Amino acid sequence: MEKGPLDRLELPAELVDAIGPYLARQRWYAGEGPPATMHIVEAGLLAELPNRAGRLLWAVVEAEGADYQLVMADRPVAGDNLRGHDEALIAGLGDRVFYDATVDSEMALALLHVASGGAERAERARPLGVEQSNTSLVYDDRLILKLFRRLSVGLNPDADVTAALAATGFSHVALPLLRWQRDGRDLAFGQQYLAGGTDGWALALTSLRDYYGAASSQAPVHPALSGGDFAAEVCRLGQVTGEMHLAMAEAFGVSEQGLGDQWRALVASIGSRTRHLVPELAAGAEPLLERLRGVQDPGPAVRAHGDYHLGQVMRTDLGWYVLDFEGEPSRSLEERQRHTSVLKDVAGMLRSLYYASQFAVGERAESDPELLQPFAQAWEDRNRAAFVRGYKDCKGTEDLLPAAPDDRGAVRVAFEVDKALYELAYEQAFRPDWARIPRAALRRLLTAPVAELIAGPLEPPELPEAADEDREV
Amino acid sequence: MAPVSGTASQDVRWYQRAVFYEVLVRGFYDSNNDGSGDIPGLMNKLDYLQWLGIDCIWLLPFYQSPLRDGGYDISDYWTVLPEYGQVADVAQLVDDAHRRGIRVIVDLVMNHTSDQHPWFRESRQDRVNPKADWYVWNDDNQRYREARIIFVDTEKSNWAWDPRRGQYYWHRFFSHQPDLNYDNPEVADTMLDVVRYWLDVGLDGFRLDAVPYMFERDGTEGENLPETHAYLKRLRKEVDSLYPGKVLLAEANQWPEDVVEYFGGGEECHMCFDFPLMPRMFMAVRREQRFPITEILARTPAIPESCSWGIFLRNHDELTLEMVTDEERDYMWSEYAKDPRMKRNIGIGRRLATLVDNDRRVAELLHSLLFSLPGSPVLYYGDEIGMGDNIYLGDRDGVRTPMQWAPDRNGGFSRADFAQLYLPPLMDPVYGYQAVNVEAQMRNPSSLLHWMRSMLEVRRAHPIFGTGSMEVVSTDNPSVLAYVRASAAPVPGGDGAGGAAGGPDQAAAHGDCVLCVSNLSRFAQPAQLPLQRWEGMTPVELLGRIPFPPIGDLPYFITLPPYGFYWFGLVARHPSSTGG
Repeated sequence: MEKGPLDRLELPAELVDAIGPYLARQRWYAGEGPPATMHIVEAGLLAELPNRAGRLLWAVVEAEGADYQLVMADRPVAGDNLRGHDEALIAGLGDRVFYDATVDSEMALALLHVASGGAERAERARPLGVEQSNTSLVYDDRLILKLFRRLSVGLNPDADVTAALAATGFSHVALPLLRWQRDGRDLAFGQQYLAGGTDGWALALTSLRDYYGAASSQAPVHPALSGGDFAAEVCRLGQVTGEMHLAMAEAFGVSEQGLGDQWRALVASIGSRTRHLVPELAAGAEPLLERLRGVQDPGPAVRAHGDYHLGQVMRTDLGWYVLDFEGEPSRSLEERQRHTSVLKDVAGMLRSLYYASQFAVGERAESDPELLQPFAQAWEDRNRAAFVRGYKDCKGTEDLLPAAPDDRGAVRVAFEVDKALYELAYEQAFRPDWARIPRAALRRLLTAPVAELIAGPLEPPELPEAADEDREV
Repeated sequence: MAPVSGTASQDVRWYQRAVFYEVLVRGFYDSNNDGSGDIPGLMNKLDYLQWLGIDCIWLLPFYQSPLRDGGYDISDYWTVLPEYGQVADVAQLVDDAHRRGIRVIVDLVMNHTSDQHPWFRESRQDRVNPKADWYVWNDDNQRYREARIIFVDTEKSNWAWDPRRGQYYWHRFFSHQPDLNYDNPEVADTMLDVVRYWLDVGLDGFRLDAVPYMFERDGTEGENLPETHAYLKRLRKEVDSLYPGKVLLAEANQWPEDVVEYFGGGEECHMCFDFPLMPRMFMAVRREQRFPITEILARTPAIPESCSWGIFLRNHDELTLEMVTDEERDYMWSEYAKDPRMKRNIGIGRRLATLVDNDRRVAELLHSLLFSLPGSPVLYYGDEIGMGDNIYLGDRDGVRTPMQWAPDRNGGFSRADFAQLYLPPLMDPVYGYQAVNVEAQMRNPSSLLHWMRSMLEVRRAHPIFGTGSMEVVSTDNPSVLAYVRASAAPVPGGDGAGGAAGGPDQAAAHGDCVLCVSNLSRFAQPAQLPLQRWEGMTPVELLGRIPFPPIGDLPYFITLPPYGFYWFGLVARHPSSTGG
């Protein structure tokens, strides 16, 4: 819907007053506490339910410099539509109650009708958790509607990239079904819902729990021989990742000038950030930085996923799907849209495999984590290699990588270190308990011999064949 | 159980709700103490099978045979192997079984005979005898070169030289099993005579062995040919018109989209075995995730409404993944075939209990899947008590040891001298007849046997397990597999009260609806199931009739013990203890 028939509406002053405190309780609100400054940019009536059962209101509010989208149910107090969703309440005013409309399935159905301009209909709606920047609703287990909460300036990268990839024939994204826009901004994006899917993170943990369970109860086992071996799945994920990059190159082109300045900025940034680490690591970073500065050609630049990890991929009955092309939420839109190296995504997934292996170690609090480390390492090595093998098996990815094999390793390591530094800052700020994971990763990345790191899985030695006839589980 | 009233039965679709039980006559019960099981022995055990609650017995071939391939090498279609009994015994067995509400089908090998069959003996004499064209002969061994060799371990070619006739004969299986020539109308007609003959004896149908290979054509791989399908249609027409209510169950070890051809749009076989599902059930438990199962379900085409899949966990045969498919289109194949455990233990025949390391939880979980996934389950004799195998007897005989009835001599199977038995019964401390036998398990209400019986009872009460629709319910937890089996169409006159959601959901309130949730992992697992469509309904656990909290407008939260599973009937309103 572009500039649709919105009935403009003046919101009651008491309701406007209640919006600030309501915002402060929302996960998608960026500020701390109720906003000091806030005003209604635009508000209107989206739909009216039959029999005066209620109204679906819409508003964009500006709070501390950012625009947020609200959809509000306005219902008589008598109903019990809010049952079990007290957190969604915005205000009770006289005999009316105002609350977040996404928790009310009747309102959610009305919203779908409006957002699709009447093209999509459904029988049922259910909210599907709240993310950092949007709220998702699932309709009939068929369509998922992402309602953007924090509105970006311009079009939404996820909707843009998904539509562009689908248009190239890349079949591993959920098909775009509707796009609700107003004044050149994306308000909501509807896609095929991948019923029966499980995200890669959950699948990796399933594999790891099985493996660690076996490892701690039996003689040491090779991950290839454990029941929950993940390598075949990861290998296919690598192939899909390669196909995604080729589709990206087709849809958005390959930058002629390559990484260029971006590469120099990345190396400089790694340099400045590693200087703040403990002296041992700061010193350890020097040989690596030296090597990175020596990279002649860091390779071509294409549009990439940007925030690629196991939580962004979904295994369904028909294979892997890639989700959420928003990019890293903390980066600016311009930064997120910039072409970069495909190795940024590759490194992101490799880091994620490491994260999963360490997260699962942490789960087994009763075991000595040091005893599990060799298994964690074996699992990570096997699955890193499998991912890269799948990626390289995808014909054409060769052309998206730096030409010199040795530089490929260097660029990949640079993105891995960059990601680990980002993780460390993030965990220290939000989840201090988790900071041990990137800290240990940085210790490894910054103290291992550079040549060994770079040789890594992009040019792996031949793995022993998984199905070793003479070994038993 | 109501008795089966022969061909007059109105229930021509009984096979869609039936539980089959595969019996090795030789290994079931020995009535004359000659060391080998027989048909009168099986008659003695019908009470047991009725008590267990199975609907149809599937007998391996009982015809005259030199037994070089377990009876699949038939040397006379009209008589029974004397060790097993006589044709009259078969008729008696069928009568006795029908009185107990149990049907009987038998294996029929139509593709080939034994080289000891009089037809082949005559055919190989010269090129002009009356049976000269009953088999597939050729001057050289170069014809039909596109046809693969199935038993690659033992056969070098599909042609074998016959020095007397001075020609090669065609055999898709062992060289002692020449293929019949279905292009000869006499052969095609005679095989229909065979079918009519045994249906007249009273049998309820056939498991048709090796159907894809009946015809040969130049330039083809000789499988799934249109001529084969045409002949099966002719066979079906004959059976339907003269013997309504009989079943044809095809063994076509092919990829599902090829197998569905054997349903022929409802005009060929009533049932086909679903081969790819079996290894994937084991794989799912091994990987602790549902995708091996849900993936094959998603890739299995729809079948005509009057047809059913036959599904199984184990059977009498060695079953290799290679026989499931050797083609690239199953990309899962490349993963699974590499798994050393799949290669070793499913590639050669093993019994269920030994495959799952005698873990009863896994055995029960796998059976719960077998009994609730779409299709008619086929049990293998002895698996109901968790019998083991003897791998030292060789691939096939290892799972064909005598049924273990009691802790007595020879496991209660026979009173013959031990040395006289066709195979030694299991005697090891874990799986031997002292530890695992019917008598002990019947006495113990918590035995696997009693568990199996109660599961079959629940299944019988819910025909939708055989005929209902199948819908996978998505959940984030990959170790949890949940699906809903429901009446395809609303059953009129059901109880619609109870304030269930209106609209199309009302259909669920009227018909039967069962939610199955399984934990494929050896760890306890939680799951949130999006069941809002059934909001207001109460899940009632079917083994204990325990009502669970009603389904609300949030995802339904459930926890499962290791390898645990639940079957819930979804009912509009559960009668409360106060009589509400």
